[in-house]
Amino acid sequence: MERRIALKNLAAATLGLVALPAWASNWTQATLLPTLPPASDALLADLVETIIPTTDTPGAKSLGVNLFVQRMVADCYDKTTQTTFANGLTTVDNLAKKATGQSFTDSTPAQRLDVVKAIMTSTDPQQKAFYNLVKGLTVRGYMTSEYVMTNLTHFQMAPGYYKGCVPVATKSVSPTSSGK
Amino acid sequence: MSNFAIDAKKANTYDAIVVGSGISGGWAAKELTGKGLRTLVLERGRDVKHIIDYPTGMKNPWEFEHRNQLTKDVRDANPIISKCYAFYEGTEQFFVKDAEHPYVQEKPFDWIRGYQVGGKSLMWARQTQRWSDFDFEGPARDGFAVDWPIRYKDIAPWYSYVEKFAGISGNKDGLATLPDGEFLPPHEWNCVEDYFSKKVAGKYQDRHVIMGRAAHITEPKPIHTAQGRAQCQRRTICERGCPYGGYFSSNASTIPWAAKSGKMTLRPDSVVHSVIYDDKLGKATGVRVVDANTKQMTEYYARIIFVNAAAINTNLVLLNSTSHRFPNGLGNDSGVLGKYVAFHNYRAGISAQYDGFLDSTTEGKRPNSPYIPRFRNVMAQETDFLRGYASGFSAGRNSYSDQNSVGADLKASLLNPKLGGWYVGSHMMGETIPKETNFVALDSVQKDPFGIPQLRISMAYDDNDEKMIKDYHEQLTEMFTMAGFTNIRTRDSKQAPGLDIHEMGGARMGKDPKTSILNAHNQMHQAKNVFVTDGACMTSTSTQNPSLTYMALTARAVDYAVKEMKKLTI
Repeated sequence: MERRIALKNLAAATLGLVALPAWASNWTQATLLPTLPPASDALLADLVETIIPTTDTPGAKSLGVNLFVQRMVADCYDKTTQTTFANGLTTVDNLAKKATGQSFTDSTPAQRLDVVKAIMTSTDPQQKAFYNLVKGLTVRGYMTSEYVMTNLTHFQMAPGYYKGCVPVATKSVSPTSSGK
Repeated sequence: MSNFAIDAKKANTYDAIVVGSGISGGWAAKELTGKGLRTLVLERGRDVKHIIDYPTGMKNPWEFEHRNQLTKDVRDANPIISKCYAFYEGTEQFFVKDAEHPYVQEKPFDWIRGYQVGGKSLMWARQTQRWSDFDFEGPARDGFAVDWPIRYKDIAPWYSYVEKFAGISGNKDGLATLPDGEFLPPHEWNCVEDYFSKKVAGKYQDRHVIMGRAAHITEPKPIHTAQGRAQCQRRTICERGCPYGGYFSSNASTIPWAAKSGKMTLRPDSVVHSVIYDDKLGKATGVRVVDANTKQMTEYYARIIFVNAAAINTNLVLLNSTSHRFPNGLGNDSGVLGKYVAFHNYRAGISAQYDGFLDSTTEGKRPNSPYIPRFRNVMAQETDFLRGYASGFSAGRNSYSDQNSVGADLKASLLNPKLGGWYVGSHMMGETIPKETNFVALDSVQKDPFGIPQLRISMAYDDNDEKMIKDYHEQLTEMFTMAGFTNIRTRDSKQAPGLDIHEMGGARMGKDPKTSILNAHNQMHQAKNVFVTDGACMTSTSTQNPSLTYMALTARAVDYAVKEMKKLTI
């Protein structure tokens, strides 16, 4: 038993020497940890859910799109954008408090939608930049989520064929461009 | 010499050594072992075994933490490789990071490299067009570089030989400019591509829009199943490595085939420092290898040596192979080693839209696109620039959705995308003229992490390239306009040489040892047991994607080398 643990630790130590690329963590919704503090993560979850809500199909929150958005901002964007993102979350909360006396998270879905619409149509460049960033990443995270690609847009990893001239009517919504 | 030393030398002695395991090194390994030679294959990078070392090969889009976008840290640390279209989260593991192997950019040059077993054959774009005599006769007719020592008839049977094994899809188009090969069924056209092809054929006698010939198994033959390769599944994520072996790579094809012979010793993590030349014997006797992990130097010996380190690195190895006999690099009495390097001009492109066929669209995926062989200055000089360009072409339709709403409206809009009209696009692949002023040379001071001199790379576009870009824009605009395409937009990326990943030359083939490094059999004029069959051997570049020609030259050179060994001339 002890030997097995020792071997396991040895393997872990050896693997640790290799600089593993990001995909090696084999990301799933369950293993991707938030980078934001819990309160901000909760606010972001409600924000992405407001942008793409649950209807007869799951919304962005239950698909973990909030985790994707904060991961992307933390890893793929520069300091300026990260600041815009952090300030924007505070602004969302402040706008909610001003309008309803409650935090964004404690507001009703209808109240949240009003707040988001206010940011969406704001003339303030910071709010505009924040909204475009979060909306863009939310749309991307949602459209490339396993649920949507598997159940709604019917992604085909390996179609095995190419038909160059089919009637539009038979076209599904499956994206046929590069599988990247 | 002690017995121990003699035994150690014997243990490190083979019939043949191949430096590099990419597209040409893999072929050298297959052919040499196939003829019974005990062959040592040296690869400077790590081993990448077919299927098991393709960690992203079966990953779905949602399994990538950043949905295949590069992180800021990766981009900031790697400004060069981050420019490469094929470098993304799912392929990071196959490209050389900027700090791994530094070089001096005397002029801007984006050196795109893949250091692993299989080299860049894992991530290549898989286009495989033959050369014709319009290409081989170019330098002699137009008075640049030196005359190629071979013509189409010399290489044609070897094109056939490698095509059958590699698996090349294509249509027999009967064009003198782009000879037909041993083709598997061609890829399919879409409506607009087919329309454009017919429009061009109706208007121009000398311009043809054909389906690209590509190294994809569209229909496996017994020779492919014998390699363990299966039909291409149309996934179009080839550069991550294909678990089906649907496209040709050293990893899926030549390397495992060579291994099966029992004659191959594959040694990854082996950075070749130089070729050893014995002044007394008057020939090369082996290579010096720096172990990438321990940095220890070891010598390996063989009767013949194939240098297939990829064009620029082959120049580096040869320039660094100095001896009393060859103080300026192996086989370099002529002084041309490292000079007359060239590349393909990929700067220009054009896009437009087409308002026809709106009732039709495409389904599935295609890892290939149509191709327009060179039509400029083919039969005679007709412009104010030398040579010409081939062009890639494709058409398609994208979906889009209005994203100006929010909430349930936005969601509904996203899930009910609208089909856009047809887009069309093309990119240029221009021949560049090899010049003495375009060169690579050893830096006299700076070393790489293995103690090997860094390369100074000095390559640039010239006036001929600028004129060609202008002509491409004009001609393609004319063709697009004639076809009724609208919203035509030309572009010039201004990208530096190198990003085309088609660098060639430096150890060129030629008839005269005074002006070339290699003879008609890719054999060094002045070191007869050394052969170079990768991009470094190229006398001129023509317009075709070069890998197929490297494969054919390699198989041909091995055939010659082994015959000469039997005749005891080497």
